[in-house]
Amino acid sequence: MSLIKAPENTPVWVDTARCKACDICVAVCPAGVLSMKAEPTSTLGAMISIVALEDCIGCNDCELNCPDFAIYVADKKTDNIKFAKLTDESKARAAAIVENNYRLPENYGK
Amino acid sequence: MAYNYDKYLRLEKMPTLWCWGCGDGVILKATIRAIEKMGWKQDDVCVISGIGCSGRFSSYVDFNTIHTTHGRTVAYATGVKLANPDKHVICVGGDGDALAIGGNHTIHACRRNIDINFIVINNFIYGLTNSQTSPTTPQGMWTVSQKAGNIDPTFDACELAIASGASFVGRETMLDPKKLERLLVKGFEHRGFSFFDVMSNCHINLGRKNKMVSAMDNLNWIDSITTPKSKYDKLSPEEQLNMFPTGVLKHDTEVREYCDMYQDIKDVHQGKRAKITQDDFEKKI
Amino acid sequence: MATREIISTGNELSAIAAVDAGCEFFGGYPLTPSSEVMHVISDLLPAAGGAAIQMEDEIAGICCVIGASMTGVRALTATSGPGVSLKAENLGLAQMAEVPLVLVNVMRGGPSTGLPTRVSQGDVLQAKNPSHGDYKSITLCAGTLAECYTEVVRAFNLADRFMQPVIVLTDETLGHMHGKAILPTLEEVKAGIKLRKQFDGAPEDYFPYECEPDQPAVLNSMFKGYRYHFTGLHHDKNGFPTEEINTCRKLIQRLEDKVELHRDELELNEEFMLDDLEENDVLIIAYGSVSLAVKEAIADLRKQGIKAGLFRPITLWPSPAERIKHFTDKIKNVLVVELNIKQYTAEVERVSSRLDLEGLYKVNGRPIAPHEIVAKVKEVF
Repeated sequence: MSLIKAPENTPVWVDTARCKACDICVAVCPAGVLSMKAEPTSTLGAMISIVALEDCIGCNDCELNCPDFAIYVADKKTDNIKFAKLTDESKARAAAIVENNYRLPENYGK
Repeated sequence: MAYNYDKYLRLEKMPTLWCWGCGDGVILKATIRAIEKMGWKQDDVCVISGIGCSGRFSSYVDFNTIHTTHGRTVAYATGVKLANPDKHVICVGGDGDALAIGGNHTIHACRRNIDINFIVINNFIYGLTNSQTSPTTPQGMWTVSQKAGNIDPTFDACELAIASGASFVGRETMLDPKKLERLLVKGFEHRGFSFFDVMSNCHINLGRKNKMVSAMDNLNWIDSITTPKSKYDKLSPEEQLNMFPTGVLKHDTEVREYCDMYQDIKDVHQGKRAKITQDDFEKKI
Repeated sequence: MATREIISTGNELSAIAAVDAGCEFFGGYPLTPSSEVMHVISDLLPAAGGAAIQMEDEIAGICCVIGASMTGVRALTATSGPGVSLKAENLGLAQMAEVPLVLVNVMRGGPSTGLPTRVSQGDVLQAKNPSHGDYKSITLCAGTLAECYTEVVRAFNLADRFMQPVIVLTDETLGHMHGKAILPTLEEVKAGIKLRKQFDGAPEDYFPYECEPDQPAVLNSMFKGYRYHFTGLHHDKNGFPTEEINTCRKLIQRLEDKVELHRDELELNEEFMLDDLEENDVLIIAYGSVSLAVKEAIADLRKQGIKAGLFRPITLWPSPAERIKHFTDKIKNVLVVELNIKQYTAEVERVSSRLDLEGLYKVNGRPIAPHEIVAKVKEVF
C-alpha cells in the first residue's frame, strides 16, 4: 500500500476533520502521546490532540485502531524519523490520561 | 506507517456514517490492507454487503459493489461467483444478517464450499435498527425487544460454519487489527469458503444499556470473552463455556471448491470426461 | 419464413428458448409444476458453457440469478405461485436496481400449497405487483406450446431493453403438454438478440443511473473497468443511497415511465376471428392455455351460426388498454374466460369502463373445456 508522506519531523499527526472523538487511539497509545481536548463544535464536544509528540514510539497502534482514517504515523525509513523509546514517564502519563477519562489532567507534570 | 487508503475508498462518501469508535471502520481498513496484500486488481473484486450498519461497508469501497436485501449476501454472491469463477468475491454481513435471516444461506454456502469470503461483523446486537436481540446477544443482556432481559440462547457462529462444511473458519476481534488482517489474508488466499467471525463493538446500542458505554469498555468486554485457540484448548469445560477461541479454527486444503467441481459438470456435458460417480469422492455419505 | 419443429413439452421448450436466447445462468429451486425447466436447463447450460444451480430455497434461487445478472449475463429462474411469493422481496430489489432477468411462472392451483399438479391462472394479479412499492411489471403469457419458447425469447430481449425482471406466465397445462411446436429457426432467434445497452466512454464519465426520464439505467457488465454500486435503497446517479427529495421522486417516476411511456414496444395480442364481428356478436377475452379451448369453442359456435372471436393479450401487463377498449366499445356481448376469479376481468372492466361483462371462471384445478365455453355463451347471450 502506498504511504502518505509525513510532515517534516512529525512522528504522528491527526486529521481533525475526520476525528469522531471515540477515545480509542488515546486508550491504546502506550506512550501517553495523545489526549482528547474539549472542542465545543465537534462530535461529543471533543477532539483529538497530540500532547507529547516527541515521545511517540511509532508502534502504529493508534493508526490501526482508528475507525475513521483520522490519525497517521510516519514511516521510519521513508520519512527518516527517529521514534522515541518507551519510558516509565511516558507510561505513567498514558495511565494518567486513561484514568482521567482520556484527557490529560490539567497541570500534569507541573 | 501512514497507509494511504485513498485508492480503495470512494472519497466522496467519507466520512463514514458509523458511530464514533465503531469497529466497522477498523474492519474496513483491515480488509483493504488484506486485499492490497493479495495484489487483487480493483476491477476483479466484488464486495457484497447486507442490511445493517455493516451493510454500508460496500458503498465506501471502490470495487464492484452490491448492497443486497437482508440476509441474502451469500446467495447473491453465489450467482456472482458461479458466473465469474476467476473473480474475487467478499461478502460482509452482521450477526443478524448472516446468522438469523441469512442463516440458511450461510449454512449452504459453507456446505457448497464455494470460493467466497464471508466476513461476519459480529457485534452481538442489531445495531442499525437500535438494539434488537440477535442470535449472538448474550442471555441476560438488555435489548429493546426484550427489555426484561434477553432469554434467547446463543450459538457459536464458527461452530455452525465448521459443521456446515466451510473449509476455512477463523475468528478475530477488534482488539488486534494486525491479527485480523493476517487472518483475512489467510482466508482470502484459501480456495474455498472462508468464514470470518469478527467480534466488534457496538457500544452505542449493545453497550450503552449493558454497562459498556464507551468503545473501550465494549472492547475490553470482548477481550475478556476471547482467547487464542491454543489457550482455549487447555481450559476446563466450565471455563470454555464463557470463552470464544480466536485464530484459525479450521483450514482444510484438501476439500474441493464448488466452482472447480462445477467445471467437472461442464466437462461431462461437453463430452470431455465421464459422468461423475461416488468413486470421485472420498466422502460417500 | 423458415421454421423448425420441436416436439416437446412447454417446460422443456422454455428451457431451450432461454439457452437459445443467450441465457448463461440459471438459479432456482424445485417447485411443481415448473421443475422440469430446471431439470432440462441444468443439462443444457453447462453443455453451452453456462452454469445452473439448484439453490437451498426459492429466495436463494432468485438472489443468485440477480447476482449473476448484475455481472452482465442473461439469467433465468423458473418457479410457480408459491415461489413467486417467496421471491417477492428480491424481485423488488431487481426492479429498484434495474437488473434484468426472466422469471418463468408455471401457474398451478392456489393460494398457498393449493393444487400443485393442477392448472390455474391465479397468479395474474400477483404478477402485476409481486413486490411492495411503485414500479411497473412486465408480464407475458404464453398461450400455446410454441409460445412457451417464443415468449421466453421475447422476455430476455425485453428484460435487457427495460432493465428489469420480466415474468413469463405459463401454466401446468402448457408446461406438461407434449406436442409439436413450430418455432423460428435458431438463426432467427440469434439474429434477434438485443443485449442490454453498455456505456463505452471513460469510467469517470460513467453514471449508471443518470438517464432520460423515460429510459432505463445503463448498467455495464461487472469486472470490465466500470465500478459502481447496486442497492435496493433509493439512489443517485452513481447508485449510492440518497434521501434527497428530488432524486427520489425522479427515480421512482422513471421506474414507472420507462415502461408506461413505451407500452407500444411491449404490446402483443392475438386477434382471432375478430374482423367480421359486429355489435351483437360475441367477443371472448382469454389468455394462456384457456385460449386453446376458446378457439375450439369459437369454431363450434360459428358452425352453430353464432359469430364469436377471441381477443388474446399476450403481454398481460401493461395491459393493451386501447385495443381492449376498441373492441369492448364496438361489441355488446363480452365474455371473459379465466382460471381464476375475475383477476383479469377487473382490468378489462377498468380499461373498458364496462361493468356488464360476462365471465366464465373456474378454480377447481381443471382446464376449461370448449363445450363449457359454448354452453356459457349460449346461456348468457
